[in-house]
Amino acid sequence: MTDGQRSPTSDGQIVVSGLTKQYKNVRAVNNLSFTVAPGRVTGFLGPNGAGKTTTLRMLLNLVTPTAGTATISGHRYADLADPLRHVGAILEASSAHKGRTGINHLRVICAAAGLPKQRADEALALVGLTPAAKRKFKGYSLGMKQRLGIAAAMLGDPRVLILDEPANGLDPEGIRWMRGFLKNLAHEGRTVLVSSHLLSEMQLLADDVVIIAAGQLIRQGPVDQVLGSMAQGARVRVRTPQTEALTAALKAQSATVDTDEQGVMLVGGVDAPTIGRAALAAGVELHELTTERPDLERVFLELTAGKAGIR
Amino acid sequence: MNLVRAELLKIRTTNTWWIFALISLPLWALTLLINWLQADALTSNAVTDLSSEQAAQFEAAASPDALSSNLFTTGQFFGLLIVMLLGIIVVTSEFFHQTVTTTFLTTPHRTAVMSAKLAAASVLALLFWLVTTAFNLIAGAAVLNAVGVGSQLGNDAAWRAIGLNLLAYLLWAVFGVGIGVLIRSQIGATVTGILLYLGGSIGAIVVISILAARWGDWINNLQLLVPSLASSLMVTGADIPGNPPRWAGAVVLIGYAVITGLVGTLLMRRRDIS
Repeated sequence: MTDGQRSPTSDGQIVVSGLTKQYKNVRAVNNLSFTVAPGRVTGFLGPNGAGKTTTLRMLLNLVTPTAGTATISGHRYADLADPLRHVGAILEASSAHKGRTGINHLRVICAAAGLPKQRADEALALVGLTPAAKRKFKGYSLGMKQRLGIAAAMLGDPRVLILDEPANGLDPEGIRWMRGFLKNLAHEGRTVLVSSHLLSEMQLLADDVVIIAAGQLIRQGPVDQVLGSMAQGARVRVRTPQTEALTAALKAQSATVDTDEQGVMLVGGVDAPTIGRAALAAGVELHELTTERPDLERVFLELTAGKAGIR
Repeated sequence: MNLVRAELLKIRTTNTWWIFALISLPLWALTLLINWLQADALTSNAVTDLSSEQAAQFEAAASPDALSSNLFTTGQFFGLLIVMLLGIIVVTSEFFHQTVTTTFLTTPHRTAVMSAKLAAASVLALLFWLVTTAFNLIAGAAVLNAVGVGSQLGNDAAWRAIGLNLLAYLLWAVFGVGIGVLIRSQIGATVTGILLYLGGSIGAIVVISILAARWGDWINNLQLLVPSLASSLMVTGADIPGNPPRWAGAVVLIGYAVITGLVGTLLMRRRDIS
C-alpha cells in the first residue's frame, strides 16, 4: 500500500458493515457491523458457534461473504497491495507442514511475500523460538506452535493483528506472555483484534469488546462501559467481627446489606469510603473492604443468555 | 516469481521430493530391463508366421526409430505416475497440513497462487525428466549398441520422442495439480490418481478391444481419449500402422491438462477456506 492511499482516519481501523454469511442451512453471521480502533486491544467474544471464526475469515478474504463488507484501513483484504506488511493473522495453531522445520516454515512465507529471509530469524527471536528453529514442526509443543504462528504473523511487521483464540492450549506462563505481548503491540499504536471465549482472560487483556451471539452483534464498546451498562450497582465486600453493629450503621445510610454464613457482608448502594467512614464513626473494626467489580463472565452470560448453543 | 520460488521452497523443505526420486530409481531400472528384452526380441528376427498386417507392425516397431524412441524414453510409464503424484501433493498437502490458510493470507490472489503451483509442479517434472533422460541416453545407447543398431544418438525421431516425453512429464504434472484441487483429501486424490493412471489404462484397453470386436476397428481410435494411452502413443518413435497418429495423442493430453488446470484454478478462486 502506498502512502497516498492511506487516509489518516481509517489507517489501521477495521470496519465490518452489514456482514452476512449464509451457509446451506444456517446463517452463520447475520448483518453484523462493528469497528475496531487502532492502539487498543479489542476482544471479540461469543459462545462457541457464534460466528467469530467465520467473521474473521471473511475479514481476511478466506470466506466469501453473502452480503456486506469488511475492510482494514479502508480496503478489502484482497485489495491490500502488500497484505503481510499490513495485517498479521493467526487463525489456527497447527497450520504448518509437520515435516518442515520452524525456520523453513517462516522462510516459505517470506519468499512468497517478498520479504527478506532475515525476517524469519528476527521473528523467531521475537517469540523466543530461536533454539527450536531447526526442529521439525511435529516436534513442537502446543505453546511452541502458537508462538510460531505469532512469529509468522509478525513477519511483515504489520500494523493490524488479528488472532483467533490465541490462548487455546497455552499454559499459564504462555498466557501471561501472550497478554504482555499483545498489550505491548497495542501500546505501539497497532490494532489488535483477538477472538476468545476465555472471558476472565479477556477482562485482563482487552480495552474494548465486541460481543456476538448467534451471528449477531450483542454489544460493543470499552470494557468498563459494557460492564457498567450491565452492573446492577457495584457491591462492596466487608468483613468485620462486629457484623450487627456495622449493619445497623450502614442501614442508617440506606445501604443494602447481605450477610452470608461465614459472616462476610455484601454491601450495596454505598461506596467503600462511605462504609469506611461509617465504620470509623461507629467504632467498628474492619478486616476487609473490597469493591467487587462486576465481571465480564457474568455480564457475558446475561447478554448471551438463550442465544448460545447449537444452531 | 516470488510465488514460484516459495512453492519450490515448500517442496525442497520437505522429504517428499527425494522419497519420490528414490522410488523412481528401481522403477526406472525395471522398465529399462523390460525395454532391453523387448529390443532384443524385436531385433533377433525370431518371430515367423505373421500376417501381412502384423508383419508391417512388427517391422515398424523394430525400426531403429521406434527402438531408440522407446529406449530413450525409458521410465516414462512410472515417471509420469510419479510427477502426477507430486502435482497432486503440491495442492493436497496444503489442505492436509492446513497451510492453505497461511498461503492465501500471504497471497490473497488465488489465481497467482495456483499459477505458481502449476509452474512449480512443471519445474519438478522438468527436473525428473532431465535426470531420467540423462540416465536413458547412457543406458539406452548401450542397449542399442548391444542389439546391433548403433547408439542412435543422432536419430531425429529419437530426439523428437525425448522432446515429446518432456511434454508428457509437464502435462501429467499439471494434470496432477488439477486432480489435487478437485479432490482435496491427500489419500483420496492419490488413490484416484493412481487408479486413473494404472487401472484406467488397463481397463480402457480391455473395454476398447471388446467394443472394437463388436462395432469395428474404428473404436480402437478411442484409446486416444485415455490420458495414459494418449501419452504413450505420443512418444512412440514411429507411426505404427493401425494406431492413431501421434500428434492426436499430444492434442488430447494438452486438452486434459488445460481443462484440469483451468477448472482447478477456477474452483480454488471461489472456494471458502475454513
